[in-house]
Amino acid sequence: MSFTRWPRQQWAPALAVGLAALATIFLANGLWMKVLTSVAIFTLTAMSVALLYRRLGQISLGHVALMGLGGWVALRFSHGFSLPFELNLLAGGVVAGLVGVALAYPALRMRGLYLSLVTLMAAGGFSIVVNNTQFPNGADGFLGFAVRATAYMPRPVLAQSDAAYFIYCLVVTGLGFLLVHLHEAGKPGRAWALIRRSEATAMAAGVNVTLYKVWGFALSGFLAGAAGALLAGSLQLLDAHSFPPADSVMICALTIVGGAWNWFGALIAALLFRLAPALLNDWGLNGNAAYIFFGLALIHALATAPRGVAGKLEEALAAGNRK
Amino acid sequence: MIDISDLYVAFGGLTALNRINVKLDAPVVGVIGPNGAGKTTFLNSLSGFVRPQSGRVVAFGTSLLDLPPHRRARWGLRRSFQKEQVVDEISVEDNIGVVLDPLGLSRGEREKALTAAFEFAGLSGLRKAKAAELNAFERRMTELARCVVGAPRVIMLDEPGAGFSQGEVSRLRDFILGIAAFNGAMTLLIDHDVDLIRTVCVNTMVLDFGILIAHDATEAVMADARVRAVYLGVEEAA
Repeated sequence: MSFTRWPRQQWAPALAVGLAALATIFLANGLWMKVLTSVAIFTLTAMSVALLYRRLGQISLGHVALMGLGGWVALRFSHGFSLPFELNLLAGGVVAGLVGVALAYPALRMRGLYLSLVTLMAAGGFSIVVNNTQFPNGADGFLGFAVRATAYMPRPVLAQSDAAYFIYCLVVTGLGFLLVHLHEAGKPGRAWALIRRSEATAMAAGVNVTLYKVWGFALSGFLAGAAGALLAGSLQLLDAHSFPPADSVMICALTIVGGAWNWFGALIAALLFRLAPALLNDWGLNGNAAYIFFGLALIHALATAPRGVAGKLEEALAAGNRK
Repeated sequence: MIDISDLYVAFGGLTALNRINVKLDAPVVGVIGPNGAGKTTFLNSLSGFVRPQSGRVVAFGTSLLDLPPHRRARWGLRRSFQKEQVVDEISVEDNIGVVLDPLGLSRGEREKALTAAFEFAGLSGLRKAKAAELNAFERRMTELARCVVGAPRVIMLDEPGAGFSQGEVSRLRDFILGIAAFNGAMTLLIDHDVDLIRTVCVNTMVLDFGILIAHDATEAVMADARVRAVYLGVEEAA
């Protein structure tokens, strides 16, 4: 009875996530711990994509590149200044947030497909640049890369082991959710809601459309950059081939499949993106087969379930609630 | 008082507003005219969604055309749209309170303004409801509450009565008539419901093909031969 004031569709997913996290900590071996850490990290990325989609109605096809940028900056700061991990994380987030602001400027003039193309171009551009510069690995100079150098990025003091780092990622992703929630429940949330309805309505209500659009892109970029820094800490070095534009497109598609309107939609997106291919590989199937399924799922979501898997799940739980 | 001089708007070769000169000074002013006469363009130029090629609009001492649209709203210019613009995903309270966000009110002032607006619009019971749960009339009233909350100076309503029943229009009439006493704002009302215009508007202006053909006390305007010819229809001809 203690849950009567808190509807099942809200606490049930939270409980499931909590139990799954506990199970992971106690049961998962090295490989699966790494896979699930990456799920926690990509949940943060999917959340940042969902924020733009849900609140500003914009589709970004460049968020994995923003992750890569956040990761590059975190590695650069880590090797360059030996700062605590948290500061490297913040630096990665802030720089990616600033690039998010730069992407917001075309967004003031164009939207829909055209803006998505700009973000895709940015992702392609990042991929080319990073393939040439590589990620810092402890060498000298601004780029900090040398073929023979192999310095690893130190993890946070409190989270040296894989299990502790998994919890660390869960906490950071949780804080990300909290940050987004605080925005959505307050002034920016109301302003974004009106902008999504129509810019004329927002202006007529006194909303500074430019400011809030830029703000939304900055927050989204910050979260993606922080996710990139977490990924850098997880692997302790990054590979230039890990951030192809195709992944940016994929995480965006899966965010819509998972459900951009619920907090656990981002988690579903990350599970599909990282866990599903790993499971298929484990079962002796080709992990890439998942991509065929994802394409079908996207078409299905757009045609019949605009709120994604999470939306369907919430409906089912809410229906059970009323009985 | 709103002093409009030489307001001129053209879209390519189409003159939407042709050098409008008018001083609006009544608690409720009607704006009528046939379809395509320029009524909505008139409101849009005041809101800032259309940039006039020339002209000045001075409302209570402030030159409106110098301000970007969201600053006009903060100054106290509010409007509703022909198609209501309520946001489904947020609560009724947030739909209305969003207007107060940029004004820097204290928590107490905000609460007071919201409570008064909810009571005035007859929506008190729906404050925490999601806007998606509202019926068409409640949605319209939510949008109107967004227009009256706080301290607006000029409220522009674009066909608020379209599509509602007699009973609902009568509630709307009481609402519009009450605005001046509620917060002292001046209301501009576009509507095709001549009865509504007749009962709430002290003065009425008539547009036809972008030209102001009449502006006077509502009864005098309704009796004007030219207005009857272009808009109301002449009984003898019918």
